[in-house]
Amino acid sequence: MLPEPVLEPERLTTPATAAVSVPFRGPVNGRLVVAVAGDILPAIAANMLAEDDLPSDHQQQDALREIANVICGNLLPRIAGPKAVFKISAPEAIPAGTLAGSCQRESPAAAVHIGLDLGRADVMLFLTSEAAHHTGQP
Amino acid sequence: MAFNVLVVDDSAVMRKMIVKTLRLSGLPLGEIHEAGDGQEGLRVLEEHWIDLAMVDINMPVMTGEEMIARVRENPQTRDLKVIVVSTESSETRIDMLQDQEAGFGAGFVHKPFSPETLRQKIVDLTGVSCDELTGDGIAPGSGPDF
Repeated sequence: MLPEPVLEPERLTTPATAAVSVPFRGPVNGRLVVAVAGDILPAIAANMLAEDDLPSDHQQQDALREIANVICGNLLPRIAGPKAVFKISAPEAIPAGTLAGSCQRESPAAAVHIGLDLGRADVMLFLTSEAAHHTGQP
Repeated sequence: MAFNVLVVDDSAVMRKMIVKTLRLSGLPLGEIHEAGDGQEGLRVLEEHWIDLAMVDINMPVMTGEEMIARVRENPQTRDLKVIVVSTESSETRIDMLQDQEAGFGAGFVHKPFSPETLRQKIVDLTGVSCDELTGDGIAPGSGPDF
């Protein structure tokens, strides 16, 4: 898989084929969403498993959940500092077709769109509340 | 000596990656068992002799922290060598875990990890000598890199 330096506008609007959300609570609350469009998920899963065979749908979903979990776990300390403690929940699959509507209702605090020759990967951070130490919420 | 290993992670893909890395590591392996959460991991420990456990932290049903605490409470398993393989990045939580594990055989590997990192942690923790390792070990890029 090769990254593309410029993501053409039409590639940005291609609907996601799979997406997962990782809710978190801590000094800031919210969720991290990772979505993929095109044919990149089978390639990612095969790469993680170091296998040439096409991974099953279940393995592909599992791979996406694990990637989202890893990104979230590594991103949060960069936002809130290395000593901040977060409760990161298990990644949840977002039903096909509902991601676009969800993104229209709520704008991400930050988003990265990565163009690849096989498709596109989106990483979006949604923040839902003020810092917990201000609200008293864990 | 062959090591019986238990891999505890709620992601089947991650378990498969860890098992693959173990097989590439050159570590003399006996049985390899898998569990999807801490409770299942404890059940495996009741039923099988395990020398080394690779345990994730954030899991449903029972977290890795709770599982490790139960392992240390049980005289049968308290000396089990444990490697925590987790996305946990909070220094506070990692320090707490390391304090809790002070005096026991435990290590920490942060996700994403390379096969070389995991292999080195296993070698450090088990004390297995180079003579005991089979094959040439892991060539860079030969396994899943995560």
